[in-house]
Amino acid sequence: MALTATATVSLVKEKFPQAVVETVAFRDEQTLVLQPESLVGVCIYLQKSLRYNFLSTITAVDWPERVPRFDVVYQLLSLPNQCVLRLKVHVGERGEEHPSVPSVCAVWPGANWYEREVYDLFGITFAGHPDLRRILMPPDWTTHPLRKDYPLTGFDLPEPHWGGQVPYTTDPGVGSQTLRSPEGRELNESRSSLNPNQEPGTPKRE
Amino acid sequence: MQKQEIATQYRLEDSRPLEDGQHMDTMTINMGPQHPSTHGVLRLILTINGETVLKVVPDIGYLHTGIEKTAEAKSYHQALVLTDRMDYLSPLNNNLGYSLAVEKLLGIEDEISEKINYVRVALAELQRIASHLVWLGTHALDLGAMSVFLYCFREREVILDIFEEISGVRMMTSYICPGGLQADLTPNFEKKVRAFTSMFPARLREYHDLLTNNQLWIERTRGVGILRAEDAIAYGASGPTLRGSNVVWDIRKVFPYSGYEKFDFNIPVGSNGDVYDRYLVRMLEMQESLKIVNQAMDGMPAGPYRVANPKVAPPPKWQITGSMEALIHHFKLFTEGYRPPEGEVFVRTEAPKGELGFYIVSDGSARPYRMHVRAPSFANLEVLPLMVEGGLLSDVVAAIGSIDIVLGEVDR
Repeated sequence: MALTATATVSLVKEKFPQAVVETVAFRDEQTLVLQPESLVGVCIYLQKSLRYNFLSTITAVDWPERVPRFDVVYQLLSLPNQCVLRLKVHVGERGEEHPSVPSVCAVWPGANWYEREVYDLFGITFAGHPDLRRILMPPDWTTHPLRKDYPLTGFDLPEPHWGGQVPYTTDPGVGSQTLRSPEGRELNESRSSLNPNQEPGTPKRE
Repeated sequence: MQKQEIATQYRLEDSRPLEDGQHMDTMTINMGPQHPSTHGVLRLILTINGETVLKVVPDIGYLHTGIEKTAEAKSYHQALVLTDRMDYLSPLNNNLGYSLAVEKLLGIEDEISEKINYVRVALAELQRIASHLVWLGTHALDLGAMSVFLYCFREREVILDIFEEISGVRMMTSYICPGGLQADLTPNFEKKVRAFTSMFPARLREYHDLLTNNQLWIERTRGVGILRAEDAIAYGASGPTLRGSNVVWDIRKVFPYSGYEKFDFNIPVGSNGDVYDRYLVRMLEMQESLKIVNQAMDGMPAGPYRVANPKVAPPPKWQITGSMEALIHHFKLFTEGYRPPEGEVFVRTEAPKGELGFYIVSDGSARPYRMHVRAPSFANLEVLPLMVEGGLLSDVVAAIGSIDIVLGEVDR
C-alpha cells in the first residue's frame, strides 16, 4: 500500500520522538515542525527509507514579532508513493542577525540553489552548504530584501547605481516601511543641490 | 576583486601540456546577460578548453522584480496580476495555480462549478500550446531553423486572439481568478476555438515535417545535453525536462486539479534524456493539449462563471443599483478584499515548464503574509551544468533551448 502523509508523520514521530516539535494538519496537508539539529537526520530517513526523493522548494517566512523569528519551510514530494509533506524549522533567536540551519544539500542536491535564495533574501545561513553566496541580488548587497523590515520600495541608491546601497545609520526598527530618517526628512534630501526657488526640471542656475 | 568572485580562476596547473611543450589553456568566457540564445537575461560563465565546456556557472537575478515581496503588500485579488508576469509566456497557467492555492486557503474548492473547471482546463491547455509554440520557434531559431519561428508565431497569434476575445487582453489576461473567472465567455469564443483546433493539426504536421526527421536537426539534438533520470529527480527538475529522461510524472495525472481526471490524454515520455527527446515530448504534448481542448469544448456544461459566494466573488455589477448587500459586498471586496483563515497551503500544478507551486501563508488579514512561488524553470536551470559540462560550446545553446526557461519565473 502506498504511503500517505499521515502515515509518514506517525512514522517520523515514532523514529525521532525528540526531533518533532509539533505536527499541523490544515486543508489535508501535513506539516512536521522539527528541531533544527535533527533536520538532516530526519531528511535522510525520509529520502532513503520513505522515498521522498523530490524536494520541490525551500523557502522561509519572517515573523518579526515572534521568537524564533524565521520559519524555514521544505516542501517534499515522493514520486514512487505519490504523496507530499511539508517540513518546517523555527530559527532565529532574539537579536540573532544570521540564524543558521544545517544544509540538506547532501540529501537532495537540488537544495543548493534554494538555500542560496533563502540566504540571499532572508539572511539565514546554511551550515555545510558548498557554495553559499547570493543568487538573485548583486553580490555586494548587504541586506536581505524579503525580511519584513526591508522597505517595499527599496533603498535610494547613490549615483551612480553600481549596486551599492545607502545602509541605515540608525536602527529602523521592525515594521518600518519608509525611507525617512528619525527626524522625518528624506534620507537623501541633503544631497539635493537644487535651489528651492528654482523651477524643478530646469538646469541649475547660480 | 570582490571576495565573492563568481568567475572561476584560471590556474596554470589546470592546463595540460601538449607534445611540443606548449600549454593548452582554459578560457573563461561570459555568455549574456544580453544574448539572443539565452532566452532572456541569463548570464553564463563558461570555462572552456577549445570548444569543450569544462564548467558552466549560471548567474541569475537580472530579472528579479520582487514579485514575492510585492504580493505581501497587495490584496489577494490584486496579487493575481503579479502572477501573470512570472512565466510571462503562459500567464493563464500561473493564474490557475494561484487561484487554486487561494481557493484552497479559503476553503471554497467545492463551490467551483463544473463549467468553471472546463473553461479553466481549456484555457490552460490552449496556453500550454501557445507556450510550447514559443519554445519551438525560439529553440529552432537558435539552432538555425529560422523559418519555424514565424510559423509558430503565426499559430500563436490565433491563440492570443482567442484570449483577447474573452478577456480583452492578449497575454497578461488575469482571466482565471480566485472564485472563478473574471467575466463570462463571449458568444464567439467557441467558434474561434473550433477554428483553431481544426486548423492546428495540419500545422503541427508541418513542424514535424520540417524538423523531426531532419538530418541536421537530429545531428544537433540527438545525444546532446543528456540528463539522467536520477539526476533530474535529485535536482528537482520537472515537466518535459523530467519526462524527457524517462520519468513518468505529470501532476495532472497524479494530483489532478480543476477536473483533469475527467479528460482522456496521454503523457509523452522520452527515453534518452537528450535534447531530441525533450523536443519530441513537447511536440507530442501539443497534440495531447489539442485533444484536451477538444474534449473540453465538446463537454462544456452551462453554469455560472464565478462562485455564488459574495464574500469572495463580487456580485454582478448591475445589481449594485438595486441591492444594498451587493453594493456593500462590492465595496468591501475592492477596498479591503476577502480574508482567508490563518494557515498555509502549497498547491502544485503542471505548467508548461514543469511543476509550478504556490506556497501562500495567511495570517488572517486581507493580504498574503508570504507568497512563495516554486518556479519550474529555477530548478530546471540548476541541471544545466550537468547537461553541458564535457560537451561542446554549441551544445550549450541547444541545451538551454531544450530546458525552456523563462527568466521571469527563475528570478521572480
